[in-house]
Formats: sequence, structure tokens, C-alpha cells
Amino acid sequence: MSKAYIATWRSRLFMAVMVAAFAVVFVRLYDLHVLRGDELALEAQNNRRSVIPLEGRRGNIVDREGNLLAGVRSLVQVGVDPYLFTAAHREKLPELAQILGLPLAEIEAVVDRRFRQGSDGQPGRAIRWAPLAVVNDEVYDQVRALGMRPVYGNRRYERFYPGGSLAAHLVGYVNREETAVMGVERALDFYLKGEQGWREAELDGRRREVVAFRAREVLPRDGYHVELTIDQNVQSIVEQALSRLAETYDPAGATIIVSDPRTGDILALGNYPSFDPNHFNRFPIENQRNRAVTDVYEPGSTFKIVPVAAGLEERLVRPDTMIDCETEVVRYRGRNIRLPSDTSRLGTIPLTRVVSRSSNRGSAQIGMMLGEQRLYDYAHAFGFGQPSGWLLGGEVRGTLHPVRNWDGLMISRIPAGYAVSATPLQVHQSMAAIANEGVLMAPRIASRILDADGQTVLDFPSAERGQVVSAITAERVAEMLRGVIGPDGTARRAEIEGYQVAGKTGTSRKIINGQYSNRHHVASFSGFFPASNPRVVITVMVDEPRLPGTGYGGLVAAPVFKEVGEQLIHHLGIQKPEPTEPLFVAR
Amino acid sequence: METTAGGRTDWINPACMLLLALIGVAFIYSSQAYSGNDFWVRQLVWIGLGGVIYVVLGRIDYSIYLANAFWLYLIAIFLLLLIYTPVGMEREGARRWLNFIVLAYQPAEAAKVCTLIMLASVLARSELGTIRQSLWTLTKVFGITLLPLFLIFTQPDLGSCLILPPMMLTLLYISRLSERFFIGVLAVVIMGTSVVGFDLYQYSQFLKNEQLTALEARGKYQETSIFPLRDYQRERIMTFVAPEVVDPRGTGSAWNSVQAQQAVGTGGLTGKGWGNGLQARLGYLPRSVAHNDFIFAVLAEEAGFIGGIFVIGIFAILLANGVRIAGVARDRFGTLLVAGVTVIFLIHVFINVGMTIGLTPITGLPLPFISYGGSFILSCCILQGLIQSVNRHRRRFD
Repeated sequence: MSKAYIATWRSRLFMAVMVAAFAVVFVRLYDLHVLRGDELALEAQNNRRSVIPLEGRRGNIVDREGNLLAGVRSLVQVGVDPYLFTAAHREKLPELAQILGLPLAEIEAVVDRRFRQGSDGQPGRAIRWAPLAVVNDEVYDQVRALGMRPVYGNRRYERFYPGGSLAAHLVGYVNREETAVMGVERALDFYLKGEQGWREAELDGRRREVVAFRAREVLPRDGYHVELTIDQNVQSIVEQALSRLAETYDPAGATIIVSDPRTGDILALGNYPSFDPNHFNRFPIENQRNRAVTDVYEPGSTFKIVPVAAGLEERLVRPDTMIDCETEVVRYRGRNIRLPSDTSRLGTIPLTRVVSRSSNRGSAQIGMMLGEQRLYDYAHAFGFGQPSGWLLGGEVRGTLHPVRNWDGLMISRIPAGYAVSATPLQVHQSMAAIANEGVLMAPRIASRILDADGQTVLDFPSAERGQVVSAITAERVAEMLRGVIGPDGTARRAEIEGYQVAGKTGTSRKIINGQYSNRHHVASFSGFFPASNPRVVITVMVDEPRLPGTGYGGLVAAPVFKEVGEQLIHHLGIQKPEPTEPLFVAR
Repeated sequence: METTAGGRTDWINPACMLLLALIGVAFIYSSQAYSGNDFWVRQLVWIGLGGVIYVVLGRIDYSIYLANAFWLYLIAIFLLLLIYTPVGMEREGARRWLNFIVLAYQPAEAAKVCTLIMLASVLARSELGTIRQSLWTLTKVFGITLLPLFLIFTQPDLGSCLILPPMMLTLLYISRLSERFFIGVLAVVIMGTSVVGFDLYQYSQFLKNEQLTALEARGKYQETSIFPLRDYQRERIMTFVAPEVVDPRGTGSAWNSVQAQQAVGTGGLTGKGWGNGLQARLGYLPRSVAHNDFIFAVLAEEAGFIGGIFVIGIFAILLANGVRIAGVARDRFGTLLVAGVTVIFLIHVFINVGMTIGLTPITGLPLPFISYGGSFILSCCILQGLIQSVNRHRRRFD
């Protein structure tokens, strides 16, 4: 090869370059394959491995009869693959548009868009499935009947509330991120949501699961069902009453609570304004407030059951004790105290009439007989100024000042329900204690946790919070409260024919800009029936009814009590009492 | 001169080619096992066609190329220009293809072959020595190389551009051009690298200052720079030099490189076995490149270090045998042709395998005989056909 047309040393350099190139490749291959093989293989494996969470089905919320208040429904997200779309499919588009209830142009736009917008304005990745609409099974069957291969759906589950706004403040809702926001949904989320399962799997380069490589699967556990003490029918009656109330008086707010005094079971609790948990975002956020526990007001006369019951319990007064309601100034512990005024001159009247005519001066004098500490102790025992034990959270405790903070006038104001604030639920529970032989109950909203087979997993028993006054005292107070509904009382409009109703009106002036307003009132009525064997306690609270004049408790709230009560008779099968029982007990 | 003696046929190169081609088919099949494409069948068809061309070219005396080099070169330039007519076809933002209905052909492939022939013919007819003596020849050589280079660069096809300059330099080197010239070239390369390096430094500062990711910055930096690189090209080079700047999470432009190296590592010493590789199967090596540009990654994962070295070894034999044939050519034209072909193959193999194992930036250079692709298989067969022709028509020693 001596005659080669290439100089020997140049040829050698050329060969040397080639050998060097191959040597570098060889070394690098050895490095990757042999030296770092395990490390890189592990990296690749970790890229593929993935734990896919599996969601359990959320449990139902049902009322005491098993009616569904919150459930899960399966929906189908219908979409289209633009690449499978042919002219034949396009002819069926008008039909599809009609079934889905979408404008034809909108569907055509989706079908014609084949690429995502890339970051540089160029067409990005291809769109292989674009969503069109969310439909139920029935509509989806119609879509499938069209026989369009590019149009198909993915099943998904969604929380829904068949009753709409029914018991919305109690049931609460789960938001779009599947987070329980309020109500039972949130308070009992632990039971409702179930347990997540998971699946270890390998993913492909587009992060999709490769079914053939499923490694391990732990199935999710569905959530438990929750049974409430609510009665759907009672709740419905309450909410109808609320909407009539709202229509008539256009109040700032209103609350109605119905419960069973013996167990503390809340049969219904409704607020105005309300919202629909299916479309929670369409309502102002303040509509979601459960005013029964979050809002406080000065209870006014409904609070008078506290000094009256306390006075009887402490044997300071009897139902026939005569009290001078003309006196304007009373000497108390060495000081002259001006009594609050009454709406009319009542003269010297027995305690029974102090209650039925709702005399502020009468109650103030009973309060003074009790003294600050005893008055405070009884108010506290009736549940004022402390949480009621409301399961669903958000509850405020109201204001009952400790005695050391009282000013000189409070001994005369608190007995009339001023200088003290309470939630509607606290007022309701204190009235329920009178109906329940003097025993204060915790409000009970959830009764049981059930598994899928309907077996009880957990019971929420009724809870007594304490004997506030003796059964005899409670019975005497109840008898006097019947007078409120009598011909001489402040709440004749609460009368339910054929039944003895016991209750108390309340009208409190609201503090507007630091002064008691003459135009802004809270009207309330809290009562129960039948008085001798109470089955239901009903509290009606109306915030700022638009109505001239005073005496709202009797005028606005009492008729609602009657309206709700009358419907409950039939529904709950409330028996009429023995006709021999006297209507009036005045000893 | 005796030209038809069967005993003069070289059997080493065709054996290597056939072996590589069959290995290629096997791994094209494997890389597409998951998606179920049948590119391996098409590849077999191309190989059959390429084989026929190889046999025919091997029998034709290469002296006719010397006579017609200029016309062949013109045809290649014409094909490159055809891209700008309606026959040209655009894919993924690059006009590299001619649409001949039944096949999409890359004229850059023809340009490689024809430019080689043209350069070899010019150099075979000229004496080179000192730079001063060779000035006119050098001018011609540069002109011949730069015209197709420019046309390919504008397509743009950076990978194919990388072939021509080293090929030209090798031919000049073999033609005994003064060492001074090559020292000068080295200096220019170093300077050019510094300029590119400075530009890339500016680019990375731009990304940092504007708080942009490389993807977001695409098309923005090139407007402010006088340096004629596109931002995606900068991104690619940066992906190789400093992946943490342009793709810190390895999910963007560095994805292919990272996944290919993981595929190689996964293979270990002996590989996972044919058809058992997961990187391509599960689409970590993108489906669009697994069977062509990144076929070596598939091979390395499934056949391991042993398999990879085996294939590299075959390439080494193929190229070494080429160098041997260059040495026995009957004239300087033959020597230059074979050396040029060898350089083309060397660059293809080194850059393709190199980008799979992280030694070179990612450019679209396929692996000869193994990667899927009709134009390229034909090109490889034509180039090897030239070597066979030179071998069969070599000097006689008897």
C-alpha cells in the first residue's frame, strides 16, 4: 500500500480520530450501562410509579324518617373527539345540540378546534377530547342513541341536595373541591367522607395509567350515612311559614325552631334568608349564616320566664302573690332605682297577670327579690351566656355579664330581658326546659351514624344539661304561660283551637347607633303545647319586621307559632288533652 | 483495466450493513410494539430497495461520477431549491421534505452525496500545497460546500449541516493541504465557539432577568440578538451544555435526553431482553422519535451494554474497512470518495449515539441502517455503493 493516495501519518491521524471517537462512546456507554445502571433504572422506575387515590362514595344525609336530604348522583360529562369527527357526524350535530340544549354554533366551535393554544402562539398539543356538557343518564342514553362515535362521556359523581334549600343551614354543603364547608356536611365530614383507597400503578409518558402494570389496589370505603333528628315535613312547614313571613313583613331576618322538649330533638330549624346548597355560589354569603346560633339579640319579655321561675323555685313568690306595677321607683340596697316602664297602667296585680300582661315593672321587682347573684345563677342555669352544645358549630354564647360587671340599673333591666343577649336557640332551649319539667336539654340534631346496610354505627344520645328548676315550678310557670295566650294575654293570636298553649311573647328594641331604637325591633314568640303534656316547643324570631307600632311579639311572631303549630297537630298526631282539665288555674 | 472479477468484491461492508439493518428492523418493531405501528415492514421494503441500489452502484465504475460531478451537483442544488416550490413539504415548522406523492424525500440526503462527489472531483484534479498556492482551489471548495450548507441551514436542518464542514475539512486534509490551514481553522472554530458561548451566556442572563422559562422566551431573545440563531436552537444547545438553566425539571427540552439516558442505564450489562424495554413502550421516549433518532436508546435498554457494544463494534468494522479501502483506491478521486463517506458515517454514528448517551447536543441525525427512514436508508446504501465501487475498481497488484 505504499502507493496509497494518502500520506501515512495523515492516515494515522485520521484513524486516531476515529478510534478516539469510538473510545469515548465506549467509555460513556460503560459508565451509563454498568456503573450508573442501577441508579438510572431506579430513576426511570420512580418516574413511572404512581399512587392513584381512589375516592369512596360520600355518605347520605337523611331525616328522621329516612328521607334523603343530601346524596350523591352520577352524571356524565359528555365530550367530543374532534379527530374522529366526519361529515356524517356533522349532519347529526343539530340533533345533538337539541338533546344537550346547547346552541349549534357552540358545539361546532368545539368540534372545529383541534389544537390547544401553544405558549408561543403556534398551535399546541392536539385536543383529543373536549367537554361539551354535563348530563344525567337519561340524556346520555339519548346521545348514545345518535350513534356518533366521537361523542362520548366520562362518568362522575356529584353531591346533590334533592330538597334544594330545605334545611340548608343544617345540612350545609360540599363545595366544588369536595371540601365540606358548613353544617352537618362539615361537622360530621369524618363519617360522611369515607376512607380513601389507593392503587399503585405505573404511568406512561403522558401520565396515564398502564392497566397492565397495576401493582396493588386498596379499595376505598364508602362514607357512612348520617340520620338527623329533622323531620322533612316539619322542616317544610317551617320554611313555608318563613317565606310567608318574609313576604308579609320583609324582615332583615327570621328564625323558626321546632323541637321535642323531652329529648331535645330539633324537628325543624329554618332561617330567612336562606340559600340552595346545589347552587351555593349564586347566593350572598350572609344567606349561609345559621342565624339561630350565630346571631344574638336582646330577648326582651321571653326572658321573663327566668326571674319568674327563679322566684317560684326560691319560694319568694307564688302565682297569686300581688305585685304593685304602678311603682316607678323602688328602694334597693340603699339606692333608689327607677323601674322600666310598662305599655299600660296595670295597678297591683297577681304574679299570674304580671306574666300574662308581660309587666316589666313586675319582673324587675321579682329580680330585686332574687338579688343579683341568684338572678345571674338562674339565667346561667337556663343556658344564657353559654354554648348550648350545638353540634354543627358556629355557635356564639351571647352575653350574660358576671355580677361584678353589673351597673346599678341592670338588676331592674335584666329581668325584662334587656342588658342580656342570646341566640334564638338559647331562648328556645330555656323555654323547652320549662316544657320538660325543668330539665334543660342539649339540642340534638344528629341521631345516628349508619353504615351501608342501615346498621347503627354510632348513636348520638339525648343529653341533659341539668335540672334548672323543680318539675313543680316548671309546671306552675307553664300554667302561668297559658295565660299569655288567654283573652287577657299578649299573645291571643297564638291560640290553637282545642289545645292549651303556653308561651311568651317578646318585643325588644334594637340598639341602633348606641341608642335603643323606636323603629327597629325584634319580635319573638316562644311557646309549647299541649301545656299539660308538651309535645313540641316552637320559637319564632323576626328581626326588624317592617310594621308600624309596637307589640310585635304578639302581632307578628305569635300568628306564625299558631300557623306552624296547627299543621304539626296533624302531622305529629298530637292528641287533644282531657276536656275536664281547667283552662285557667288561679289560686 | 480489469473491473468485473467477482473475487474483488468486498464482503465485509455488505455483511455489516445487512446485520445492522436487521438489528434496526428488530428494534423498530420493538419500539412500536405498544402503539402497534408497522414501520418495520416499511423499513424492510426500503432495505430491499437500498440493497438493489447498492449492488448496482457497486458494479458501476465510479469514474463516471468524476466526469459528471458538476451535473450531479446541480441536480442536488435544484432539489434543494425545489423545497421552496409547492412540492416542498413542511413538518413541525421545518421545510425539509419534497412531496413525491409516494414518498417524502429529504433533498439534503442527495446534497450530502453530490457535494461529496463534487468536492472529490475538484480536489482530485488539483494539487494542493501551501495556502497561497491553493487559494483558487480553496475558494472553489468553500463555494461548493457553502451553497448547499446555506440552503440546508435555512430549512432549517442543523443536523445535516453538521455533516458538510467536517467532510470538507477531511477531504482537504487528505489532499495534503498545509497544516497551517487546519491550525487556522482550529483557531476560527475556537473563536466561533467563544462567540456562540457569549451569545448563550447573554441568552441565559436574558432568561434570568426576564424571569422567563426557555419555553416562554422562545422567539423573544432572537429579536434582540444580532447572532443568527433561532431561540429553539439556543435552547437545544443550552439543554446540552447547561440543562439546569433552560429545563431545571427535565420535563421540557431536556426530557428526551434525560429519558434516553435512563433507558440506557436501565439496560444494564445484558439488557432487559428484546421487547421488554419500558421507556419506549410507555412513551417516555416520545413515540415520534423512539424509532428513528432515539433508536439506540431502545436498543441499549433491551440489549444492554453487550448489545450496544456489539452494534458499535459493527460500525467500527464498517468504518475501519472503509479506511482500508480508501488506502487501496486506484486514484485520488476514489480515495477522497471513500474517506468522505467514512467521515459522513462517523459523524452520524458519533452524534446519534452521542446524543442518546448525553455526549452531544440533540440534533436530528439518524443512526445509519438502524434508524427508521426511507431517504436515509437509500442515502446510506448509495454511499456504501460508492465504497464498493471504489473497492471493485481498485488498483491491481497482480
